[in-house]
Amino acid sequence: MIDLILAVLLDFSLAFFVACCWGILFGTPFKALWMVGLLGGFGHALRFVLLDFEVGLIASTFVASIVVGLSGIAGAHKVHTPPVVLTMPACITMIPGLYAYRTMLALIKLSDKSILDHQTDIIPNIAHNAVLTFSLLIALAVGISVSAIFFRNKSAKDIRWSKLI
Amino acid sequence: MNNLQNEKININEMATFLLDTGVFLVSSGAHSGRVWRNCNRMAKHWGFQFNVNLNYTGMLLTVSDASNPEVAVTRFQSTPPSHIHMAVLSKVSHLSWRVTDGDLSFADAKQELELIKTHAHYPYWVVALAVGLSCGLLATLAGGNIVDLLFAFVAATTGSLSRYFIVKNKFNIFLAAIMAAFISSFIAGLDTIWGLGAMPELALATSVLYLIPGVPLLNSVIDLLEGYYSASLTRGLFAASLLFCIAIGMTMTITILGISNF
Repeated sequence: MIDLILAVLLDFSLAFFVACCWGILFGTPFKALWMVGLLGGFGHALRFVLLDFEVGLIASTFVASIVVGLSGIAGAHKVHTPPVVLTMPACITMIPGLYAYRTMLALIKLSDKSILDHQTDIIPNIAHNAVLTFSLLIALAVGISVSAIFFRNKSAKDIRWSKLI
Repeated sequence: MNNLQNEKININEMATFLLDTGVFLVSSGAHSGRVWRNCNRMAKHWGFQFNVNLNYTGMLLTVSDASNPEVAVTRFQSTPPSHIHMAVLSKVSHLSWRVTDGDLSFADAKQELELIKTHAHYPYWVVALAVGLSCGLLATLAGGNIVDLLFAFVAATTGSLSRYFIVKNKFNIFLAAIMAAFISSFIAGLDTIWGLGAMPELALATSVLYLIPGVPLLNSVIDLLEGYYSASLTRGLFAASLLFCIAIGMTMTITILGISNF
């Protein structure tokens, strides 16, 4: 149990800085960077915990990105920016870059006959990685656009959690 | 009602202002729904009706006078080169709300937009260091050790700097992505060649993650969900091409260094 808590804390702190750095790359205002880090770290740590309980990669990414999207609305009120400014770099910590890259690399390998004879499972490999990439992307995008989908296109400025409950 | 709302605005100027705002937002990394909402908010406040066909490469809009629909203007404007800048989204959103609250006249709003356009991004070396740090930490998150972190850090920082200088000299952005992916993966590939880190292939895989077009990829799916199909397709095509360029750059490295088991 202690091991799990320590691992989650390590995951949170690493993802905190990763999210902050992506925030700098995307030009998020300096005053909002700490919120980006919090959201990104929290989302990644939540996914880590869910993965640890064997929830499955796509399902846990989906849950984590929805939670990031919803808490991003509250965070946006705190630092006075639109939520997407915060949730975009925060969710990028979970972007399926590795799977997208594996898909492309396997596609390039497909051009070589000798590799094809040697690795017969290359087509299932491409299909698997491509499906994973697209599912994870859609999960992240739903999380980011959660306000537009679940709140009938209201602006985040009009969504107040205290008024909804 | 305040008298700002009765201000008489030329419909041509209005269309130019909305187009300026819209294409600027698109090039800064806003999804189509955001562009529509921000522009519509301001147009409605000044008594104009607003229809738009949004695309990643340009914006076609028709503005008509709400009280006199006969008076209408249709214009098109191309999007400037994409340069992701989230602070712009925040500032334009504030601008549109201030307009709606009646704090700004049309002339002031135009001036404000020009001011936002000059808002500076972080300096390129700060971005490069941040990119290096984030790629290094991602390598650690995936299970690498400190050597992998260092290799990914140096690789991503060098790659990011070289991309900055290639783009600055007006080369094609796809060429810049291929070159940056090649440089980053070459430096990270040395980790594999020399066999220093715990999981050297992780350094290789994470060193190019900063090139992943995350904003266009996510915006593409968001546009699809919100019903802007053509914008979604063009953004997706752009993002997929960039991903392909990364793969080309890495293939060059793998061929030159002879890392066959990756």
